[in-house]
Amino acid sequence: MNEQPSDSFEERSRALFNGSVEGLDFATRSRLTRARKAAIEAASASRRPWFFRIGVLTPAAGVTAAAILGVFLWLGSPLGQHAATVADGQSNFEDFELVASADEGSGDAMDMLQDDIEFYDWADKAANPGPAA
Amino acid sequence: MPPFDTLNQAWMVWDGPAPAPEDAVLEYTRELEKFLAEIERRAFRMAQVALRDADDALDVVQDAMLKLARNYASRPSGEWRPLFYRILENGIRDLQRRRTVRKRFMAWLPGPKDDPDSEAQDPLDNVADAAPAIPEALMQGQAMQQLEVSLRALPARQREAFMLRNFEGLDVAETATAMGCSEGSVKTHYSRAVHTLREQLGEVW
Repeated sequence: MNEQPSDSFEERSRALFNGSVEGLDFATRSRLTRARKAAIEAASASRRPWFFRIGVLTPAAGVTAAAILGVFLWLGSPLGQHAATVADGQSNFEDFELVASADEGSGDAMDMLQDDIEFYDWADKAANPGPAA
Repeated sequence: MPPFDTLNQAWMVWDGPAPAPEDAVLEYTRELEKFLAEIERRAFRMAQVALRDADDALDVVQDAMLKLARNYASRPSGEWRPLFYRILENGIRDLQRRRTVRKRFMAWLPGPKDDPDSEAQDPLDNVADAAPAIPEALMQGQAMQQLEVSLRALPARQREAFMLRNFEGLDVAETATAMGCSEGSVKTHYSRAVHTLREQLGEVW
């Protein structure tokens, strides 16, 4: 492999180049070492099977799992259920109020629903078309 | 896909490549690191000669190390050297092309030009005076500067052939692999490079 040309001009130029390599300053050597370590580390990581890389993901996976667990616990707790109940109750109450309230000059809401019964029937069929006859 | 109780069951149905044993990975990682440690300073100097900029040279060398480690680490270690220099020379050429494009673009813009070539030195600026008491290191430094200037003035392929053959000690076949050309082309480029350099430097060395 090291079949180097042996002319005096080539020897001189090679010696100069080798001298310049030896004379590299500490900062440059240090940066090269860091670059080499980074390359080796990146290559090692990419060659490991996935189950050896799980350790790298552990912190993020732990945080995600803790967050999911927290959500489930909160929903399962009396506080979470209370919040859901309150929200549902609010919604039901509003529906009831809407149906029970009387619109000025047009009769009560039950009459209004009775009048539009065909509309609701049609709307229901349009939204849920059955099998073609 | 059925669930797996153990990793072994998963691997039994996995039809991809088997994972390399950890010991083998560690072994060629160590070998690769040793190879890169041997080569990195010389590669940096070669890139610096070609690019005239230490930061750019470092970037190109780092990129070459990364690509070699990622893509070719599993190849036989005897192939690493020409592969590494091929990646390095490609990186140098890419950067030089980008510089050329940037220079052309900058030429259309008003104002001061960012021209890296403007820093090119005249070889005669570095010719030593006749003063007798110049330390050896200084003389060598000046001689190296002259060599660098002359190398930069060479066509890229000639410079590559000269540096890979003479500085790095690659044989003709390895140099051809590194340069991505035939062995005959390597010989031609190298011969022309030596001839030109000798003409330019022979008198002042």
